[in-house]
Amino acid sequence: MPRLALLPAILVVALAGVARGQDAVNDATEKAMKEAAAKAAPWVCKIETAGGAATIGGPPGGGGGPGGPGGGPPPVRKGSGPTTGLVIARDGYVITSSFNFANKPTDIFVTVPGKERKVAKVIASDTARMLTLLKIDATDLSVPAPFPKAEIRIGQWTLAMGRALDSELVKVPGYSKGIVSAVNRIWGKAVQTDCKVSPVNYGGPLVALDGRVIGVLVPASPNAEGDTAGIEWYDSGIGFAVPLEDVLAVFPRLKGGKDIGRGVLGFNPKEPEEMYNVPVTVGSIAPNSAAAKAELKVGDIITHIDGKPVPHFSALRHTLGPKYEGDEISLTVQRDGKEVKVEKVALGSAAAATFAQPFFGILPMRDDPDPGVEVRYVYPKSPADLAGLKEGDRILKVGAGGPARGPMPPGGGLVPVTGGRAQLGQIVRAAPVNADLKMEVKRKDGGKTETLTVKVGTLNEELPEKLPMPSSKNRALEKPKAPVGPGPKPPADGKKDEEKKEEKKEDDKDEFEKGLLTGLSNKTNGREYWMYLPDNYDKNKSYGVIIWLHAAKPGANEAKDMKKIWEDYCDAANFIIIAPKSKKGEWAATETEEVVTTVREALKPFTIDPTRVVAHGMGIGGSMALYMAFNARDFVRGVAVSGAPLAGNAKDNLPNQPLSFFLIAGNKDPLLKEIQETTDKLKAKKFPLIYREIADFGKQYIDQNTLNELTVWLDSMDRI
Amino acid sequence: MRTLLLLLLLAAPAVAADPFGKVAAQVNEKCVKIFGAGGFRGATNYSTGVLVSADGHFVTIASQTLDTSELIVHLHDGRRMKAVVLATEPELDIALCYIRLEGKRDILKEPNGLDLAHFDIAEAAKRKPAEAGDWVLAHSNLFEIAMRDEPLSVMQGSITGVSKLHGKRGIFDFPYTGDVYVVDAITNGPGAGGGPLTTRKGELLGLIGREIKNGQSETWINYAIPVFAEVEIKEDKDKLTKVSIPQFVELAKQGKYKTRPKLELGKGPGGYTGIKFVPNVLDRTPPYVDEVTPGSPAAKAGIQVNDLVSFIDGEPIYSIKTYLAVMSRTQPGGTVRMEVRRGDNLQSVEIVLGEWPKGTLKPAAAKPDEKK
Repeated sequence: MPRLALLPAILVVALAGVARGQDAVNDATEKAMKEAAAKAAPWVCKIETAGGAATIGGPPGGGGGPGGPGGGPPPVRKGSGPTTGLVIARDGYVITSSFNFANKPTDIFVTVPGKERKVAKVIASDTARMLTLLKIDATDLSVPAPFPKAEIRIGQWTLAMGRALDSELVKVPGYSKGIVSAVNRIWGKAVQTDCKVSPVNYGGPLVALDGRVIGVLVPASPNAEGDTAGIEWYDSGIGFAVPLEDVLAVFPRLKGGKDIGRGVLGFNPKEPEEMYNVPVTVGSIAPNSAAAKAELKVGDIITHIDGKPVPHFSALRHTLGPKYEGDEISLTVQRDGKEVKVEKVALGSAAAATFAQPFFGILPMRDDPDPGVEVRYVYPKSPADLAGLKEGDRILKVGAGGPARGPMPPGGGLVPVTGGRAQLGQIVRAAPVNADLKMEVKRKDGGKTETLTVKVGTLNEELPEKLPMPSSKNRALEKPKAPVGPGPKPPADGKKDEEKKEEKKEDDKDEFEKGLLTGLSNKTNGREYWMYLPDNYDKNKSYGVIIWLHAAKPGANEAKDMKKIWEDYCDAANFIIIAPKSKKGEWAATETEEVVTTVREALKPFTIDPTRVVAHGMGIGGSMALYMAFNARDFVRGVAVSGAPLAGNAKDNLPNQPLSFFLIAGNKDPLLKEIQETTDKLKAKKFPLIYREIADFGKQYIDQNTLNELTVWLDSMDRI
Repeated sequence: MRTLLLLLLLAAPAVAADPFGKVAAQVNEKCVKIFGAGGFRGATNYSTGVLVSADGHFVTIASQTLDTSELIVHLHDGRRMKAVVLATEPELDIALCYIRLEGKRDILKEPNGLDLAHFDIAEAAKRKPAEAGDWVLAHSNLFEIAMRDEPLSVMQGSITGVSKLHGKRGIFDFPYTGDVYVVDAITNGPGAGGGPLTTRKGELLGLIGREIKNGQSETWINYAIPVFAEVEIKEDKDKLTKVSIPQFVELAKQGKYKTRPKLELGKGPGGYTGIKFVPNVLDRTPPYVDEVTPGSPAAKAGIQVNDLVSFIDGEPIYSIKTYLAVMSRTQPGGTVRMEVRRGDNLQSVEIVLGEWPKGTLKPAAAKPDEKK
């Protein structure tokens, strides 16, 4: 009916437009807009909150921002003023943007126009669409009609309505006018509009000219998840609304009181960087995930979901994006050249599909070109220990029982380890947790060769008290030696890691200036850095890297102070410290790429161990380190930070780009709660994490005990 | 059928003249581009002004751009002239300036002979105020994009609300206490302040405000001070008088307007209730009643321990800090309506505020929240 009523209006507008010019069109359109706003007014309610935090996380220095490449959420200072909700059921259900409660208020009040202010209860949240369902005690409320998704057209007028500015709720609320800019945004979950969308109207409706509701306004970002993702685009002309049709579809489930999140299949593509160009090949499968339950295999090519072709990973994300956990899909995959259909795959939760780092329980000897991997250390009670592996043993061959798995041949055959610890690490990381691995081991000091069976475990958080030295065979520059006798060649990417060192163009000089150095990056507009190169630097050893990201205002003696703390350790455990400086004084997320370039460039002349590259910092430098680690995953392998919370959400744990964390907080740090929340976020993604809370500590760097632990942790980054 | 209508609708603009262009040109003639002081700590040294007399009087917001002896304006036709500030009214956040011709001694007495297009601000103030949903145009020298005879930038938008911003949490120091037009055109950039907000037909609605952040929503707000704005100011001693924008302009033109310092509000602890709260440990400790002094106004009104003070006179109370800030604007003898949350219900009570008993530790008036 409302649609029919609009037709004459449009007709008048159109005819008048021709007859009397643009003014008449404007008059009529403005009138139509006000009528639509008046129609929607009774559904648009005001939400007020009390209590809760003043700020909601945020990465260092803001950054990200509109147009920022993959920019994370900037720090958000959450206003506590009124926000907006949309009535969706006559008996008092109100849907709103989860952003409005991101600061976890203690009390929520809702006022429906013309009614009394009521205490509201949070019923459940839809974490996939950033919506929260509220319930107030009410009956006979007026409810909106959804504008059908299929009829939404790019270019049609829209009104973004909010109540944040209304104190009395007697008037028709104002609106920001605009058009539909795009549909199927945020992986198929949102309509895009150029209306000004901001905390002033988050949670309010995006209304069509006929008064029907297109969707619920939310901050959203295609690159990030969470309550505040996309807030940096407020009032920018890029705004999003979750279609009301979708909201009403999930409403019955939310009413049940359980939060509901996006549905996850639970695999990583073989080529995660290739979003558009290659078919979706399964690279790894998370145990307990929907993909594991559907018995997908590594190497399967997913061609169709629900009969719709998914030619590349982006298409797959668009198809799966709108789905919830528990939703069922059908899959078509190419397996060994044959088409296989898998019906009724129930998508799991993001948590169920989280990948835990498989662990074997040894530290390998470094810089050793001889065939196999010598065991430097065996973690007590680890799978390796239980299988009877000892320090000094040499692992010569590895294999799996059963079918082919990743780099291993089928049928339980053993492959020689010729790519050193990098190859062994790759094999273990690709193995499913609890799977049996067989290995051929030559015992220490010319002992006999035995075959052991090891059940792959997960990385534990126990730190050895002390690690045996030396850690290196001092032969980093030699090429790996092939084993005696015939055998398959090592996988191409197996050895690359270990000897990344480029062929020296200049004559093989080893004379570097050592100790504390300062430098200026050429590639990145002259970013300054300082660096500590151990006095006993030896190009035949591979060096770990500590990327130190300074706190907000580094003192003039920062480099000297750091050197004093770290030099003995760096000399003994083979680490280089490099400390790029922020150009803005306080780190900004947007500096990440440049900083990484600076570091890579500065390290080029040296023999670097890619398994021990750690971002380290305190305070805002620590937040920067966390941000950098998640955004330079091909480079950084560990994060050690003091007094620094993670902004936004943790990204997924990936088998081929492992990350470990060492978090330090003083129990008197005002950010303690945020840091504790950070540990929860990282644990939820099953990242290996060590967390130390130091008593009677505020915002200091570290105490001696924790420092000792940190040094052990740093030296064990290449654990397998 | 729908397709046909759509086509008609789309076809219309092509055949019709564009009315915005005409309006923009007319409004542009009634504006000046202002260049003055600034430049330190990122403050801008340019803004926009609205001519209100043929002689060259113009109004703009009372920003730091005017704090200079070398105030320069560019007229729409490119003429570059000097100007002086005749008066400002901080409560209205407005200043009246006057274009000064070289060689004139007494600028108020000798007419300068200009004959400029201008707005009749008295007429504009009498017109019916705009309402939420009205389409508007904002004209300004945003980002100093126009010099000399280059026309101002015109932005279209609509009124998202006619609302008070002053006194709400986070924006205590909002310059103007009455209703303002909040618009969805992004006018909060440098240089827009003082430019005219008009209807689609070019009628003056108000002056674009300064760059300011709304602490309630933590967003930059886009607003204009309406031409109908009126404030109470303190004339000698404690006598309050009302001044509207046209009155201010008229008096200032004659050199009769005395610029006064801003009224100081909310300095003391306000009236006494007898409520004590849980220790204020967090930035946003919710105002849960910890203790009610027997016989106190709150006790008489029936406030109970563990009540959560949620609203005072309709204003939401988010924390002990907001409670203190709101109460500091009250007086002993005054009455407040307090809504408290008790269990799942809201109870509304009236409290007649008392004098602070001797020996009671008075809270310091809460400072407005720090801005970022």
